[in-house]
Amino acid sequence: MLRAAILALCVLALAGVPLLGDEVLIQYGIDALLFATLAQAWNILGGFTGYVSFGNSSFYGLGVYGTAIAMAQLHWPFGVGLAVGAALAVGCAVLFGIPILRLRGHYFAIATLGLSATLAAIIANIDIAGKNIGLILPLTRADAAFYEEALLLLIAATATVAWIAKSRFGAALLAIREDEDAALVMGINTTRYKIAALTLSAFFTAIAGGIHAYWITFVDPGGAFDLTLNVRMVIMAMFGGPGTVFGPLLGAFILSAVYDVLASSISTAAALLFGLVIVLAVIFMPRGLWDLAGGFRRSGARYLLQNIRAHRL
Amino acid sequence: MLLAQILLNGLLLGGLYGLMALGMALVWGVLNIVNLAHGAFVMLGGYCVYFLFAGLGVDPFAALPAAMLAMFALGYLLQRYVLNLIIRSAQLNTLLITFGLDVVLTYLAQLAFTADFRTINPSYAGANLTVFGLTLPLLRLAAFVAALLLASLLWIVLQRTRLGRAIRATAQNLTAARLYGVDPARLYAVTFGLGAALAGAAGGLYGMVSQVTPYIGATLTAKSFVIAIMGGLENPFGIVLGGIVIGIIEALAAIYIGPTFTDAISFGLLVVILVARPTRSLRSA
Repeated sequence: MLRAAILALCVLALAGVPLLGDEVLIQYGIDALLFATLAQAWNILGGFTGYVSFGNSSFYGLGVYGTAIAMAQLHWPFGVGLAVGAALAVGCAVLFGIPILRLRGHYFAIATLGLSATLAAIIANIDIAGKNIGLILPLTRADAAFYEEALLLLIAATATVAWIAKSRFGAALLAIREDEDAALVMGINTTRYKIAALTLSAFFTAIAGGIHAYWITFVDPGGAFDLTLNVRMVIMAMFGGPGTVFGPLLGAFILSAVYDVLASSISTAAALLFGLVIVLAVIFMPRGLWDLAGGFRRSGARYLLQNIRAHRL
Repeated sequence: MLLAQILLNGLLLGGLYGLMALGMALVWGVLNIVNLAHGAFVMLGGYCVYFLFAGLGVDPFAALPAAMLAMFALGYLLQRYVLNLIIRSAQLNTLLITFGLDVVLTYLAQLAFTADFRTINPSYAGANLTVFGLTLPLLRLAAFVAALLLASLLWIVLQRTRLGRAIRATAQNLTAARLYGVDPARLYAVTFGLGAALAGAAGGLYGMVSQVTPYIGATLTAKSFVIAIMGGLENPFGIVLGGIVIGIIEALAAIYIGPTFTDAISFGLLVVILVARPTRSLRSA
């Protein structure tokens, strides 16, 4: 009950941010909310099954380009554009997932690494996608509306993850993460579950891409299929706590804020500190911030050293 | 004739790629760490040789051992005092921490060396041999030969020395190796140092045939990864061969399909190989 009340308050507070009327804050907000959605979407496959996908940036790019082509070339409305983008991404996830999800561990991660670059190269040679030059979407000045859309999307993604965490589906995904062979022996059709997780992940990622495309009003292959974006999703989810409902949000909000504050003052040093934060986070809180909170309650600062003791050679 | 020249260029560059991937494959095979900072080590090795050459006038090939030594020390310290702390946590965490190291090294390099393009350009850089109408750039040939020599050296160390036996034993079974008196903390650090030293050598050679900037690391890491998988993690010569295959494919793709597709093609090939050889990927899951 108390939890539900706190949650409702948080959502209300977030939804009320545009009322403050601070444009810069709203723009930071849209970015942070979209990043949180991306981290949450990545969490569905990466956090629950342990399959590290570097292909999510290509679902993002497909969402961007689906929306952009529908709106800029075919003059369809925004909602239809989002649907086109999501359909492309889901189709790609199923087609690509069937062969690739048979691979395990590092091999899966690497097989997904090339997807973005490949799709970017293809898009850069398609006429209707504007080739290398990119596309320009119709301009709308409605940052507050974009903010609320991003927030709604984040809520939908988080609700989905909350459902997963409690469901049989989620239990199967966790079983895959802990021991895939055992899961198979238990009668879980692991391939089908993994594809379902990848598809859900692709769906939310693509919608986030579509919203971002319409907000920015310009798309190009390099920006849409950007692997560093994928790396940021992974880091935010890992930093917050993979396989938890709120960890990825926490990670995304904190790292977005840190990065924005640092980047506006000192850019090279910002990236440097970002790297250091990752290194230290892996050493002292390998299960993310969400676990750190619980760990501190149990054993205080000793929690940090316990992690080293548990994982060192 | 054009085709033969393209194949030759690919072959020469591919030997260097193979050397680059050797260090990554060694660390991956023995420590089960996919080192995403590997490309950054290559970059640092490139800078070592560049500054020895441009600052002190040392011949770049003579500077290679010094660069390797420096990179060995860096790798040893990183593994001993950082990576060993987390080596038994989830596999994802080793990916993440080496990614963090990659970011740190890249931007430290940018602060220290600026983002300028550097090329190691000794007086004999422009010399060519002409054999059967094919142009054979001497520098690239020398880099190719050096890469092969280092791969052979690694093979000899792994097969014929006490250290090599300890490394191979640890790769097979850590507990058993421990029972026979191998100190894993030290051995892991030495192995990681060897990987970094090989990366450093590759970086020096890379600086002679291409340019060094702080940002070359990421693509070189990806390339090394592809090659390490193609060549298998056990045999140094398999990896050199993998490098040559990738070098030739890239050279062909750049001419006949278009330079924007080179990365897409090597990755496409990787996916085909991975999917077509599922037994291997299952074994090391």
